[in-house]
Amino acid sequence: MAILWVLLAIFIAACALGVVLSRSPITSALSLLIGFVGVGVLYLCLKAEFVAAVQVLVYAGGIMVLYVIGVMFTDSEALRLNRQTHMQAWPAFFIILVLFAWMGHKLYHAEYKAVPSAVTVAVAATPEEEAKTRLALEAKAALAHDTNPRQVSVALFSDFLYPFEAASVLLAVAVLGGIFLAKKEV
Amino acid sequence: METSGFVLLGFLLFCLGLLGVLIRRNFIVVLLSAELIFAGAGINFIVFSNLWKNLAGQVFTIFLIAVAAGEAAIGLGLLIALYRVKHTVNVDVARELKG
Repeated sequence: MAILWVLLAIFIAACALGVVLSRSPITSALSLLIGFVGVGVLYLCLKAEFVAAVQVLVYAGGIMVLYVIGVMFTDSEALRLNRQTHMQAWPAFFIILVLFAWMGHKLYHAEYKAVPSAVTVAVAATPEEEAKTRLALEAKAALAHDTNPRQVSVALFSDFLYPFEAASVLLAVAVLGGIFLAKKEV
Repeated sequence: METSGFVLLGFLLFCLGLLGVLIRRNFIVVLLSAELIFAGAGINFIVFSNLWKNLAGQVFTIFLIAVAAGEAAIGLGLLIALYRVKHTVNVDVARELKG
């Protein structure tokens, strides 16, 4: 089992290296696409099935198509003949290498303990409230054995309802901003 | 043991994305590298969601993907605006704001 984790991690890291190092932006985009599928497999193995599906659908199906269309609209491929990096490439490379060695060492040797998820201790004042709290706790306990998409959607539409709406507003504003930036008279 | 490996993988993706943003000249590759940074953050969210049996991490990963989609829309708008004004996607030519 552990060898499979290592292989998956090496695959994702190789795809990420391909994104950064490849000369052609199309190769970069396709490398990122394959890497995102690998990340989706990782999510699937970590019991986040719904997020894995969203990752593949939205990233691989949506965002990457946008980028490939962006490559088509510009002469991005012509840049392949130029120098690809800045003057600051070597300093940036060394700083990131030091950052990775230092922080990576700390992260790898840190202790990650599995803490039990927070149990809400409700103080019930009246019998009705007590019944309501018990009902809520029972619903939560029943949900714990349900499928992952149902759990995520219940969380999304109860505890995280306002962030969810804010995210939809953010998306609408971002799309409008993109159209405004890309139209003829800027 | 496994958790520290996943955290390291997320940090590696973050570092590679940062490297791409800092050193590449092609604006599209800069945007793709920014997506790598998002992926590193997403792996961290899912790993700790799995470790602590807490769904909030998965919900936040969905928000993260929404933010990445917004970033892609804005980035492509900027890309096309840059190409219209400068006729290239080399980020080095956009230096009017440099004093």
